[in-house]
Amino acid sequence: MKTLIKLANLKKVFSTDEVETHALSDINLEIKQGEYLSIAGPSGCGKSTLLSILGLLDTSSEGCYTLNGHDVVDINAKQRAAIRNKEIGFVFQSFNLISELTVAENVALPLTYRKDLSKTERTELVTAALEKVDMGHRTKHYPSQLSGGQQQRVAVARAIAGNPSIILADEPTGNLDSKNAELVMALLDKLHAEGATICMVTHDPRGAKRAERIIEIFDGRIVSDSPTSETHIEEAVA
Amino acid sequence: MNILSDINFAFRTLIKNPKFTALTIFVMTTGLTLCIYMFSFIHGSLVAPLPFENGERIRAVDTIYNGMQYQGTSFRVHDFEDIKKRVQSYEVFDAYDQGTVNLSTTDRAVKYTGHYVKESFFEISEAKPQLGRLLTNDDGLSGAEPVTLISHTLWQNMFAGDKDILGKKLRINTEPTTIVGVMPDSYQFPSAGRIWLPYTTTAKGIARKDGDYVAVYGVLKPGISDEQANAELRSLMAELEESYPKLNSNTSAHVWTLQSAAMGSGTPTIILAMELAVGFILLLACINVGNLLFSRAIEKGKETAIRTALGAPRSRLIMQMMWESTLICTISGVLAVLFAGLWLEVANKDLLSSFPFDPPFWWNIQITQSSIIAAIVITLVTALITGILPALKATSGDFNATLRDGTRGAQSKASGRLSKMIVISEVVLSCALLLLSTGMVYSVNQQNNIDYGTTIEDIFTARVGLPEAEYKSDEKRLQYYQNLKATLLAEPEISAVSLTRTIPGNGASYQNILLEGVDYGKKPQYPSSSSVGVDHNYFSVMTINLREGRLFDSRDKIGSPLTAVVTDKFVNKFFKDGVALGKRFKFIETDNDWYTVIGVVNDVIHGQPMSFNIEKPTAFISIQQTPKRFMSVVIKTVASDAQNVPNLAKIVADSIQKVERDAPAYDIKTLRNSIIGRNAGMNFVSELFLVFAAASMVLAFSGIYGVMSNTIIQKTQEIGIRRALGADNSDIYKYFIKQGLKQLVIGLAIGVPMGVALVTMLEESSIAQGSLMLYFSVPAFISFIILLAVYYPVSRALKMEPCEALRHE
Ligand SMILES: Nc1ncnc2c1ncn2[C@@H]1O[C@H](COP(=O)(O)OP(=O)(O)OP(=O)(O)O)[C@@H](O)[C@H]1O
Ligand SMILES: [Mg+2]
Repeated sequence: MKTLIKLANLKKVFSTDEVETHALSDINLEIKQGEYLSIAGPSGCGKSTLLSILGLLDTSSEGCYTLNGHDVVDINAKQRAAIRNKEIGFVFQSFNLISELTVAENVALPLTYRKDLSKTERTELVTAALEKVDMGHRTKHYPSQLSGGQQQRVAVARAIAGNPSIILADEPTGNLDSKNAELVMALLDKLHAEGATICMVTHDPRGAKRAERIIEIFDGRIVSDSPTSETHIEEAVA
Repeated sequence: MNILSDINFAFRTLIKNPKFTALTIFVMTTGLTLCIYMFSFIHGSLVAPLPFENGERIRAVDTIYNGMQYQGTSFRVHDFEDIKKRVQSYEVFDAYDQGTVNLSTTDRAVKYTGHYVKESFFEISEAKPQLGRLLTNDDGLSGAEPVTLISHTLWQNMFAGDKDILGKKLRINTEPTTIVGVMPDSYQFPSAGRIWLPYTTTAKGIARKDGDYVAVYGVLKPGISDEQANAELRSLMAELEESYPKLNSNTSAHVWTLQSAAMGSGTPTIILAMELAVGFILLLACINVGNLLFSRAIEKGKETAIRTALGAPRSRLIMQMMWESTLICTISGVLAVLFAGLWLEVANKDLLSSFPFDPPFWWNIQITQSSIIAAIVITLVTALITGILPALKATSGDFNATLRDGTRGAQSKASGRLSKMIVISEVVLSCALLLLSTGMVYSVNQQNNIDYGTTIEDIFTARVGLPEAEYKSDEKRLQYYQNLKATLLAEPEISAVSLTRTIPGNGASYQNILLEGVDYGKKPQYPSSSSVGVDHNYFSVMTINLREGRLFDSRDKIGSPLTAVVTDKFVNKFFKDGVALGKRFKFIETDNDWYTVIGVVNDVIHGQPMSFNIEKPTAFISIQQTPKRFMSVVIKTVASDAQNVPNLAKIVADSIQKVERDAPAYDIKTLRNSIIGRNAGMNFVSELFLVFAAASMVLAFSGIYGVMSNTIIQKTQEIGIRRALGADNSDIYKYFIKQGLKQLVIGLAIGVPMGVALVTMLEESSIAQGSLMLYFSVPAFISFIILLAVYYPVSRALKMEPCEALRHE
């Protein structure tokens, strides 16, 4: 399989007036195309920070980051935005749908930032994405008219609408009850089965078990990186 | 003690947010200060009744001639007497006359405006002499001993406050006159007077066309409205017009308060414009503060929802929020009264000293009891408006939704709609106001820089009036002119001297004329022209250019056929074929002789440079043919700027006094100053409007900026989401600018026509002037301000990394 992401000696330091927080230190990580990866670790260990850097929502303080063979450390804001748009799909814990936009408009949002799509192509992609998450019947609704699980499924549809290279999900089930969490997890499974690359942060051991590979972070360092079958998830996350 | 604890709570909230509090108080104080200032100004100068028992019913009765309102001695005494016989609407209907009088004692001579008055004049103005007695109607009977009443100032200046002044004699226009009383200086009806004489003007035995002009005043009967009085006057004047078609063509009359009369005919429009402007500003201030409070209430939406869930009644929550706005408005109100009072004090000194006349005695432009009452009312109303709407809105949402809603859906949508409304109304108001005020400033600026058609800078002027008794004959007057010019020219500082009846910028006599060979029909509507008597060298001294024909010369003298030099406008208006030379016309009222046009010169503006004066044609006539007693001397100095010659005023005054002891010079000043003085009122008003415009711009900018940065802060997370989904900076800018643009376009679509309508309204009274340049640049400027107000907060939000924005609460 082709290497999609390569991090080498990556560091992230948050400096405020008084304190320096070493959120990530010496991160070396490779993610292959089609992999389903889960990141675990105690609260505050740096999971979200890592995901933000992977998603180009934040910059690293030091180190190399290659995405699809391209160096993405020294590129400008416009190029970063374009990569976020084409290569990355985000799913957030708090859904982050835009309340003034309908379901269809929310899903279409990333596509509107592309110059190369016609309106009909856009509509087709949106419909396809919503069908995939089983939300095709709610296109005209506003987020506030949906349940939490439905909102998150719409958020997943938005993440996959543009066929990104990788889906980054930060505790996608954190705000959901177990039944809805199960639904969203099943959805990610299905996407993975269809070939999507997924990198997910989760506290939920059962969720983590669904991934093929699990990475544990402690205090900003990767302390273990192994296929799921070899790990005692319960222990690792405790 | 809920109220006390609520007030206490509101107070603590304000102290905890000093920036917010300072901003709201600043905005509110700005609005209220302008409002209170304006109220006090209008009230003190215009609305407050005269301080007499019947003050509310005292009116000036003035003529309207060719649609122009005239004032002061504007009634032909024949018309006045005819009308007095028949009017029904008045308790008192009388006239007084006004004239320049020369006073001389054994050692000095001075010149003042005297009032020739009847008993009723003193009665309605509740006059009480400081010494002696008032004048009676008997004093005016023919054969009565000549008597006069002098002012306190005159008594002090001319007689050093002589205790035995009563019974002493004073030469008034060369006639020995007995002083029967002294008036206190506080008596200034209808303007500051120096000397009062018995009213003797009469129509008896005088041909109508030679009739003197008098000023008419009246006291309306209780219950009679101005409309009723005006209707009656109109019909009486119409009858006179029918009876005397030549003399009274286009002449009507109306009543107005002395206050309005003193401010001039454009005043109601100016006042309306001021009130509109101040209203707009106050509205802007209210909208801004209301919005600030509202967005604060939205920020605390969750807190409010929790309180509601815990059982707090809505009325209590509203009350709590209301106290905040009440505190803000009250503090602002107090500050505003202080600032307005200070401003009034400074502005008054400035204004009053720049006026060419003494301000009317009833002016009481300061913070009075009524301005305090007005301030309290305005403050309470603004507190209510700025408080209740946000409070109602903030507590009306479904609190359950607020508690549940992670995406701040319901409330942010409501606040989004409101923000849009606010931006739109700020654009509308500031656009209208800015157009209005720049239109006024533009017009005043144009008036100040207008080409009067003559030299202005190096000219010095003084006015002289010859005593009637000694200067009855034309020969004596001509001799005086000769002497005057020779004496002045003997001074080394003076290089040229000429004479005119009216200097540029001053109102000239505007008369009906009759063109030879034109049939004006049975009900004649005669055209009018200014007429200005000038000495022969006037054109060269004043640099007025000859277009064709010739100027006055030695051929134009007493006894030779009357001649006139007319302006371009005169030719364009009256001679369609463009041929003026050799044509003849006559002034209907004053002369029966024909004037022959011998020359055409460029236009010269007489009167304030407003369009109706600029459009007036002028006929110059020769004072060598028709010498008059009153005239202005125009003096060219050796220095290029008359202002630079030291002591020039004294040199001129002394020289003139040398020529004729009983004809002292007055109004001695540079032509430039005379013109500035005439425009002082408008300059003041336009400066005020500049302040309004600046205030409106500051408020609109801060308001729109506030709204936008609020919206953007509320949308920080959304910005983060959009960026996470791949929006780059330009996408984000585009998104917000597009939103702002929509509101801008709507706002301009309402504001520009509104502003243009206001300017057009004021254009009619020559108070404002629009121009395409303004109509484009004002909206462009506002668009720029709005874009700035959008751009700045967005760029600040974009400085955050997207992940930070996402985490923003
Ligand atoms: N903007 C920031 N400024 C300063 N420190 C930060 C910032 N963002 C994160 N941190 C710090 O970096 C460390 C890692 O944070 P991060 O959000 O990545 O943790 P996490 O593993 O996602 O935790 P959780 O499981 O609770 O979400 C924490 O110690 C946090 O306090
Ligand atoms: Mg996290």
